[in-house]
Amino acid sequence: MSWYEAMAEALLANGIRAMAYVPDEMTGELLERMENAPDVDVYSVTREEEGVGVLSGAYLGGRRGALIIQASGVGNSLNALASLNVACKVPLLLVVGERGGLKEFNPCQVPLGRAVPGLLEAIGVQTFRVDNEADIPELTQGAATLAFSTQLPVALLLTTRLTGGKPV
Amino acid sequence: MTTETGTAPETAGTMTRFQATQALVALLDKEPVISSLGRSTFDLHGARDRPENFYLWGAMGMASSVGLGLARSMPHTKVIVLDGDGALLMNLGSLTTIGVLRPANLVVIVWDNEEYESTGGQKTHTARGTDLERLARAAGIDQAATVRDLAAFQEAVRRALAEPGPWLVVAKVKGDGVKRRVPRKPVYFKERFQAAMAELRAGAGEG
Repeated sequence: MSWYEAMAEALLANGIRAMAYVPDEMTGELLERMENAPDVDVYSVTREEEGVGVLSGAYLGGRRGALIIQASGVGNSLNALASLNVACKVPLLLVVGERGGLKEFNPCQVPLGRAVPGLLEAIGVQTFRVDNEADIPELTQGAATLAFSTQLPVALLLTTRLTGGKPV
Repeated sequence: MTTETGTAPETAGTMTRFQATQALVALLDKEPVISSLGRSTFDLHGARDRPENFYLWGAMGMASSVGLGLARSMPHTKVIVLDGDGALLMNLGSLTTIGVLRPANLVVIVWDNEEYESTGGQKTHTARGTDLERLARAAGIDQAATVRDLAAFQEAVRRALAEPGPWLVVAKVKGDGVKRRVPRKPVYFKERFQAAMAELRAGAGEG
């Protein structure tokens, strides 16, 4: 099984029934699996912050959501995450494709990409790195339990060690 | 639906946001209402606080997106969004996503007072020529209208509640200067709202 099949399976097994995304090459295969899953409401959004909003509405309407984005998208989402999801306790899972770390080739991706765990920590969102496919079921279940039992957003960082990174 | 155009100057309207909010809630039963931060929230709470209200206190721009996600998750009820013109301008992409997904049950009402009222009344772009109704149409939202008085607003809302949308009603309003206090308890309001939505879904057999 590939990492993205394992990830899709784990998200579905943990009750994810809404997904928003801005596409990213690293997570393209994962997006496709989620789009084809039955009873998952999929939103292609124009900006990652918009995805935070729709998934917050979806959660309040009864559907657990996952925002599948690239690291840069976290930067586009911070105010909504902090002042809606954290402050008002509206949970969601962030599935973030790593940029700015190992194998990064674009200088402009480094400053924000490498800061993502720190930025999320600063606003009260915990981040868990996913380096190996074998860890996916356990980490996803742990993150989903944390998010939906304690009513907080939680991030899974899909590292380039897992995904192979973006093709140069 | 045709807009109200003509030779009248393009100014904020004669109705107050509070009056229009009162007129809106008089037409509702248990439909969820999402209100943007600031005066939209204060006036909604003041007009009628109810478990089906979700008040935003931050995340400026997110009201229409939250409404979209809620509308898609609860297709058996109309979902009303009370947005501000300044807030909607922050998230114009939302209009395109709504225009693409076309949720029939979503009604976005924009309290267009052409200013950032909560920060001292600085003008927004809608005071300088930006036309939110035309933007919505260009984004694929065909049911769009601009209203400038209470009677037209009430008629637009009646249509939006009765006919498939998505709807965008640009209500040219002004504030009334009344300071309305809302208890700052966002987690309480969220829990109350979530429970109300679960009850609505159970009633509709959505589970």
